[in-house]
Amino acid sequence: MRGFLHGLVRLRRGPWEMVASVLIATGVFMLMQPFALWAYSWSFLVTLTGTVMFIVVSHFPE
Amino acid sequence: MSHLNMDSVARATPRHLSRRIRGLSDRAIAWVFVAPTIFLLLAVNIFPLIWTIRLSFTNYAANRPNAEVQWIGLRNYERILSDPDTWATMQATAHFLFWTIVFQVMIGFALAWLINQKFRGNDLWTTIIVLPMMLSPAVVGNFWTLLYQPQLGLFNSIVGFFSGADPTSFSMIGDVHLAPWSIVIVDTWMWTPFVMLICLAGLRSIPDSIYEAAECDRASRWRQFWTITVPMVLPFLMLAVLFRGIENFKMFDLVVQLTGGGPGNITTLTSIELKREAFEKWRTGYSSAYAVILFVTVFGLASIYVKALNRVKDR
Amino acid sequence: MSAHSITEPSVRQKWFAGALVAAYALITLLPLLWIIATGFKSSSDAIAYPPKILFEPTLEGYVNLFTAQTRQSPEYLAQNPPATWYEAIVHDKGMVIAGPSRYGERFMNSVIIGFGATFLSVVLGTLAAYAFSRYRIPLKDDLLFFILSTRMMPPIAVAIPIFLMFRNLGLSDTHAGMILLYTAVNLSLAVWLLKGFIDEIPREYEEAALIDGYTRFQAFMKVVLPQAATGIAATAIFCLIFSWNEYAFAVLLTSGTAQTAPPFIPTIIGVGGQDWPAVAAGATIFLVPVMVFTILLRKHLLRGITFGAVRK
Repeated sequence: MRGFLHGLVRLRRGPWEMVASVLIATGVFMLMQPFALWAYSWSFLVTLTGTVMFIVVSHFPE
Repeated sequence: MSHLNMDSVARATPRHLSRRIRGLSDRAIAWVFVAPTIFLLLAVNIFPLIWTIRLSFTNYAANRPNAEVQWIGLRNYERILSDPDTWATMQATAHFLFWTIVFQVMIGFALAWLINQKFRGNDLWTTIIVLPMMLSPAVVGNFWTLLYQPQLGLFNSIVGFFSGADPTSFSMIGDVHLAPWSIVIVDTWMWTPFVMLICLAGLRSIPDSIYEAAECDRASRWRQFWTITVPMVLPFLMLAVLFRGIENFKMFDLVVQLTGGGPGNITTLTSIELKREAFEKWRTGYSSAYAVILFVTVFGLASIYVKALNRVKDR
Repeated sequence: MSAHSITEPSVRQKWFAGALVAAYALITLLPLLWIIATGFKSSSDAIAYPPKILFEPTLEGYVNLFTAQTRQSPEYLAQNPPATWYEAIVHDKGMVIAGPSRYGERFMNSVIIGFGATFLSVVLGTLAAYAFSRYRIPLKDDLLFFILSTRMMPPIAVAIPIFLMFRNLGLSDTHAGMILLYTAVNLSLAVWLLKGFIDEIPREYEEAALIDGYTRFQAFMKVVLPQAATGIAATAIFCLIFSWNEYAFAVLLTSGTAQTAPPFIPTIIGVGGQDWPAVAAGATIFLVPVMVFTILLRKHLLRGITFGAVRK
């Protein structure tokens, strides 16, 4: 956990890709879950944020 | 930056070629080799993608090319993302996605584990099991409608024979409760071998020496399975799950032939809904926005997939 | 206890595993066998209740598949006795053959488009894969990801702008349009798969050739290509199978002259619904080549389905 936070602060690729992946996964879950309409409405924005973030952070150093 | 490079290389090519190809520097060869691929993909994928994004902010209709096109901002997105019917097709997709992955992982892993027992003739059986995966989903899906028929279908007869139920008493495709399962069954039949093959690769990548060491430590078979086999196969399983997830998220051919989205809208997956909006109702602007939502979702999942791919590659 | 027995399963275990796998294989094979069997059934046997396992084989389905037929009066039929065995089959139903059906054309479309797209994507793919494998290309990883991501896109979503583009360029329902489209879709697989195969060829071979006075290009043609031949063949078969099976683009972008077999086969209808023996016959002819290819490919299957990442 310490290493993870450390990586985030120093803009390392691994932990940031993790964050972006979690955002994408959350967005996809929100898109297809049967529980709340508001979550469906906001899902696209979450996925989009995660995807754009992934493209950016995959250029951070290892 | 890269675009600039590519353009100059593309324009410079004929002159270089006339000076015989032997005169090309390494760098020029690299670009001459890569350029046609990139160019074709730009023309057939990226250009249309940009066009789709543009259309998604308009009310364009492809069957009325002369009608006035209005710029309507984000209204298409708002309508899709607040429409309960579209949400319902997403849930139908989720049901399909979830259960196909559950069944395929369970059966696929079990089969891979059994095949890895290295019995005689395992190559032959593996090849037979793999066959359905390679066949045309549309053609096979169409034929499954015969197997599913209540009176004359082989599937109903076999289920009836083993369960004692009357084979004419249920209709896999016509019944609202059974139809979502009918597509899950056929997809599982087709794609379990895919998960199986990847799991098998994972199992075979585990060196025997690890098991031998565990045996020396007197670890039980059960313990070995959970502490060695499962963790070592997990990256491979991730790969299989992600790929099946992406493929089934955009599933079209098999289901459209099998149920056509019916009965009602119960098996209308996102791609089927998109096809109706775009090519039957001709709401091109609206369906472009829908397409962009699917694009972004798939693109996001694909980035995670490539990450998983690279992790497996190092093994 | 010897080291051998630790990792090697016991005889009973092997037998048990073998039996289970064989049972699964037979169940999974059943629908395919049923397709092939239905192709040789008569119309009434195909829709008999309960389903018939034993039946009298007939070529009626295949004759129906390849011919268009019209009903004729008994007098006409009596005056024109059948000249060939296939005319006799049709004759018995009170019909005469009016001409060939569309199946032959659709099948040929599949062949032309399949081979055309395969050829193009393998040629372009080999060049690109070689460059990606051997040279330093700026933004290489991004380009490779971009190439792969084009494969992942939902076909229906891509089809909307492609439909408009083809309409403007006059490519709708043409062989050229479909070949171009399938080439673009196949390229990603071809590049990734071939890059894996070329990565495995040691660079020393080319370097030796360069020292012998070959140019880079000659080294590529005379050293790398022969070494990669198996990989190129496997890639070609994968591309061929994809174009062969593709349905979504075909059904949306073709309707007549360039329509391939997958959208056509489900539309084969007879009197009162689908003519199942004819559908099954068409499916058999269409599926059997892929089954043969799969058996030929079995050693490379894993690479093909994971874009060359998993090599066993």
